Amino acid sequence: MGKHKKALIVCAAAVLLLLAASLLVGSHGRPETVQEAMRDAVLHAENRISLFGVKSVNPGLISAFVVTGILLVLASLIRVFAIPNFKFVPGRFQLAIEEAVGLFDNMAKSNSPHRHGFLGAYIFGAGAYIFFGTLFELIGMQGTTTRGHAIALPAPLSDVNAAIALGVLSYLVILSGGIAGNGFGGIGKTLKEFSLPISMSFRLFGALLSGLLVTELVYYYLVLSFVLPVIVAVLFTLIHALVQTYVLTMLTALYYGEVSEPAHKAKKGKAQEA
Amino acid sequence: MSNIPLNIDWQQILLHWMNLAILVGGLYFLLFKPVTQFMEKRKAHYQELEDQAAGKLKEAEDIKAQYQQKLDGAEEEMHEARAKVQQAVEKSTQEQLAEAKKQAAQIVAQARAEAEHSKDKVMKEAQRELKKLATEAAEKIAFQSDVDPFDQFLNLAEGGKGNESR
Repeated sequence: MGKHKKALIVCAAAVLLLLAASLLVGSHGRPETVQEAMRDAVLHAENRISLFGVKSVNPGLISAFVVTGILLVLASLIRVFAIPNFKFVPGRFQLAIEEAVGLFDNMAKSNSPHRHGFLGAYIFGAGAYIFFGTLFELIGMQGTTTRGHAIALPAPLSDVNAAIALGVLSYLVILSGGIAGNGFGGIGKTLKEFSLPISMSFRLFGALLSGLLVTELVYYYLVLSFVLPVIVAVLFTLIHALVQTYVLTMLTALYYGEVSEPAHKAKKGKAQEA
Repeated sequence: MSNIPLNIDWQQILLHWMNLAILVGGLYFLLFKPVTQFMEKRKAHYQELEDQAAGKLKEAEDIKAQYQQKLDGAEEEMHEARAKVQQAVEKSTQEQLAEAKKQAAQIVAQARAEAEHSKDKVMKEAQRELKKLATEAAEKIAFQSDVDPFDQFLNLAEGGKGNESR
């Protein structure tokens, strides 16, 4: 009990100290108004980051590269150190990895029973990208704009280009499933869902952008920066990371299964005869 | 480029695609493939164990069925043997009975034949004796003329009867 009291006192003291320090130091003032900040969060016209000095790009692209780098490094570490030691009766970590892989593999198998080898790999990659990409904004990694301002790197998918890239790529994956499963008939089946790339892209963009705008709004005002971010940032981000991952992977798997299902011409013929 | 609404940039979209291709390919080779392979291996291992157990169970059931069949066969054999023995006993009894009847019939026939034979013999002997007595009586009657011949015959006949009763 004594230990708990001490820890509580230390925590309270730290909170008070940090609060006093933040109020004393004050803000150096934003270089932009809240309207400008919100507008730029959508359009990325002002705050751009140089890509190796070749081209100035949206911060979302840099975030995407960083997320990919982190994920590949983690995957390499798991591949080298964990997977060779996998046992038939799994431990906690192994169970978590198996669950994550099995979740997408089973989703591919159950939604597209005829053709699911590539689909499983794709939705696993896309799911990991959306989930960890969305959580990436919680880290608040800093980047420097071409104008010399420091900004926190946003979630990759809050950039419209990233959302369009992922939405259209998912549609192309569905199209490839249609062609592999049904040839030209598959192309026709996929083209029937012509609104799919737009809906998938803008669903992702809308969901991620709304999160970004709320976060931007909250952090713009110093007064709102206490306690509220715990709910706004952590809870909302976690929830929409899960939801968006589930929605995009499930939609991709569903449509892929639908267009790659072989057509039953013989059955149709019999039904017509009957 | 700048005329496209929402600041959409095709070059950046292509860069995002490149990034996604690297990510999906990398995660597939580093994580997805090895983990699914391991899971398949484990599934195959437990499937094999299950198959082995099922095979052994089937083997045991086959053996049980064989023994049951043998047991049923043995019982049937016992029934058959018992029936055969009963049949043999019955047959032998019938044969013996028939033989006994036959023998009895033979004995009766023989006894009858013997009785018939001895009757004939006695009759013949009686006839012969009667003839002899009649002859003797006739002789005596002829030679003893002082005696009434009828009385003599009667006397002789009585004497003969006494001989016959003996």
